[in-house]
Amino acid sequence: MSGDILKQLRETDFFKELSDDALQAVAAEGTVRRYAEGESVMRKGDAADSFFVILDGNLKIVTQDAKGDEIIINKVQPGETVGEMSLIDQRPRSAGAVALEEVEALELSKDVFLELLTERTDVTLGILKGYSNRLRFSTTYIEKVIDWSQKTAEGDYSFLENTQPMLNRAGSDDDKAAQLLSAFYSMVRKVKAREEGLKQELERLTFEIDQERRKREFEEITGTEFYAQLKAQAKALRERRAQG
Amino acid sequence: MKGKIVSIHSFRGGTGKSNVTANLAAQVAMTGKRVGVVDTDIQSPGIHVLFGLDENKMGKTMNDFLHGKATIREIGFSVGDHPGEGEGRAKLVGSNLFLFPSSIKGGEISQILREGIDFNLLNEGLQTTITEFDLDYLFIDTHPGLNEETLLSIATSDVLIIILRPDNQDLQGTSVTVDIARSLDVPNLFLLVNKALPKYDFSVIKKDIEAQFEATVTGVLPLSFDMAENASKDLFSLRYPDHEWSKSLRGVVDFVLAAK
Ligand SMILES: Nc1ncnc2c1ncn2[C@@H]1O[C@H](COP(=O)(O)OP(=O)(O)O)[C@@H](O)[C@H]1O
Ligand SMILES: [Mg+2]
Repeated sequence: MSGDILKQLRETDFFKELSDDALQAVAAEGTVRRYAEGESVMRKGDAADSFFVILDGNLKIVTQDAKGDEIIINKVQPGETVGEMSLIDQRPRSAGAVALEEVEALELSKDVFLELLTERTDVTLGILKGYSNRLRFSTTYIEKVIDWSQKTAEGDYSFLENTQPMLNRAGSDDDKAAQLLSAFYSMVRKVKAREEGLKQELERLTFEIDQERRKREFEEITGTEFYAQLKAQAKALRERRAQG
Repeated sequence: MKGKIVSIHSFRGGTGKSNVTANLAAQVAMTGKRVGVVDTDIQSPGIHVLFGLDENKMGKTMNDFLHGKATIREIGFSVGDHPGEGEGRAKLVGSNLFLFPSSIKGGEISQILREGIDFNLLNEGLQTTITEFDLDYLFIDTHPGLNEETLLSIATSDVLIIILRPDNQDLQGTSVTVDIARSLDVPNLFLLVNKALPKYDFSVIKKDIEAQFEATVTGVLPLSFDMAENASKDLFSLRYPDHEWSKSLRGVVDFVLAAK
C-alpha cells in the first residue's frame, strides 16, 4: 500500500481518528478498485458485503422514483465512504453509487470491517468517534432547523437577521446537514418575501364609488334655480378673467 | 390676471382642511408671495388658532365688510407682523401673510345667505381683498359639504383643492364635488389625500384615486400622531420641516405655484 492511500485514509471522516498503526492494518486489507465514468460501484437492493473509501473522482448516489427514473440524492467526493451503513444494519443497499468520472476507491470487505470491529478496539473506537462526530454535527443542525421551523410557523422571522447563512458552505458537498440548513434558510427567506407580497396585496385599499348615487346627488344640487344662476355668473366671471 | 383664489374643500369635517390651508398658505408665503387666508370654517379649531391668534383681538370680519360696515383694510390681520407663539410660526415674521376672519360667531354666514348675498358681491369682496393687499394668492378655508356658500367659493376659485381621506365614504362625497367643480369650470382641480395610514403604499393610493376621478392627486399625507399632537401648538410644517407630512405638503405648494 502506498503512503498516498494512508494519507487519503487519514483525511476521511471515517478513519481520521485512527492511529497510523491502525490505518496500516486497514489499508493492508483493502483492494484498490478503478471505475470508468458511468460505471456502477454498487446497486440499490444488492446484498452488502463491502464498503468503499473513495480515493479519487466523484460519484453520485442514486435511487429511482415511482416511474423508475433515476434521482440523484447525493454526490460523494474523495475522502468520503459509501456503503458502510449496510454493513452495520445488515440490510441491502439503500441506494446505488455510480462513477461520475474515473473513480479510484479502496474496497474493504464486510469481513475486514467486522474483524476490525472485533479485534481492534482503537479502530472500533475510531469508527464510533467518526459516527458520533457526524451525528453530533448533524444533530446541531437538525436542532437549528427544528427551532427555525417553529419560529417560522409562528411568523417570527427574526432569526433571518440574527443568523449568518452558511453561504460559504452551501454548494460544497462536504456537509449535507449544513446544506440542509442553508436550503432551509433560503426557503424561509422566500416564504417571508412571498408572505409580505401577499400582505401588501391584501392591504391594498379598494375604492368604489356608487355612480348612481353620485349622479343623483349631483342632480339634486345642480337642479336648483340657485345653481343655474350661479353657473351662469361663474361662466361670465371666467370669461371676464380670461380677458384680463 | 393677478391674484389667484385657492379654495380648500372637503366632504367631511375633520379631514384636515384647516391644517392644510394654514400650512399651505404659510409655505406659499415663505416663497416670498403675498398671501391672504379667508377663514370661513367656523368649526373649532378655526384657522386663526393654527396661526396662534386670539380671536378677541381680531376685531372686524369679512361679514362686516360685505355689509359695508368695515373696509377691507380694517379686517386684514398681518401674520408677518404678529406671528403667534412657537418656533415654526416665528419663521413667518416679515412675510406677507394676511388673515381675513370671515365669521367668528356661528350663524352669521347663514344670515348673509338669507339676506341674499350673491355671487357677484362675494366675488367683488374677494377681488377687493386681492387688490387692496396686492395678493398673489387668496386661500379660502371652506365649510365641509356642499352648501350654497361653498358652491359660491368653488364657483369663484381659480384653484380648488379637495382634501379627502382614503376611504369610500370620502370618495363618494368627493365624487360629487369633483363633478360640481367641473360643471362650474374651475380651471385647476386638485385632489389631496390626508390621514393615509402609513402601512399602505402611497403611490398605489395616489394612482387608484387618480384613476377614479381622472384628476391629479397632488399629495398623499400620512396619518400621524405627531400631527394630531402638535397641530394646534404651532404651524406643523414650519416647526417640523423634515417630517413626512411636511415634505408631502410642500409638494402641493409646487402645484399651487404652477397653476395657470
Ligand atoms: N395627517 C394627520 N394626522 C393626524 N391628525 C391630523 C392630520 N391632519 C389633521 N389632523 C387632526 O385632525 C383634526 C381635524 O383637522 P382640521 O384641520 O381641523 O380639519 P377640518 O378643518 O377639515 O375640520 C385636528 O385635530 C388635526 O390636528
Ligand atoms: Mg376646519
